[in-house]
Amino acid sequence: MHGTLAPIAWIVVGYGIVVAVAAVVGLVLRAPRPRWLDQMAWMLEALGVVLGLGALGSLLQGHRPSSMSTHVGYLAALVCIMPVAVMSVREDRESWSSGVIAVGAIATVVVAVRLMVTR
Amino acid sequence: MTSTESLETQSGPRPKRGPHLVLMACYALFILASGSRAVVQIATQFDVAPFAYVLSAVAAVTYVVGWFAIRRAAYGRPRLAEVMLWVELAGVVVVGTLSLVKKDWFPDASVWSDYGGGYGWVPAALPIAALLWLHRTHDNRPVKEPSA
Repeated sequence: MHGTLAPIAWIVVGYGIVVAVAAVVGLVLRAPRPRWLDQMAWMLEALGVVLGLGALGSLLQGHRPSSMSTHVGYLAALVCIMPVAVMSVREDRESWSSGVIAVGAIATVVVAVRLMVTR
Repeated sequence: MTSTESLETQSGPRPKRGPHLVLMACYALFILASGSRAVVQIATQFDVAPFAYVLSAVAAVTYVVGWFAIRRAAYGRPRLAEVMLWVELAGVVVVGTLSLVKKDWFPDASVWSDYGGGYGWVPAALPIAALLWLHRTHDNRPVKEPSA
């Protein structure tokens, strides 16, 4: 990944951790999933898309990561995980659905870190 | 079985909402992670560590079956999960132990190497968590009194 994208990646990591913690707290408290958690999840997705577009632009400018296939795989995962997680529980506001959001957020964080490692 | 129960079994009642949602999300992630890893490694560098890469593919298939098994268990049919989760746990233990004892068999890591250490040991924790859920869910069902 291009050096200028590292701050965006760290923002994704930090914000993803916040979303995951909020979701886990909701799960522990056995509270129905609040609407604001969905909004936080979509915000994480928006940040992931920004990071993904930046990394894609970096590739198009000629930057070559150590493993292209792995890097592209992480890029795809970065933008796909959160929408799939949120949509899979869209009709379910029960507390365990917050756990699905937490799993998606943690996975997005891990993918963002791996994206930086494979740059 | 009453006619109502029979109808529910045939039409497939909605599963209870619960921890299986989180388990299925984790399994879906590992289908993606291990599946894509196996495909890329087998397609691009199979000669480097064929045994490890085939084991990664086996892990991916196990996660696919595990996902369906948990889904079936959530709908009240736990048989497949009872088998598959133990198979998965055995796979993690056997492959993890082999990766430590027979290092020359693993020039590159598989998903289950070091008991899933490359994935934060989640591959080892996942079947244990799923088995706990399975036993808590299906052992707590009321026992039917035999009809006189």
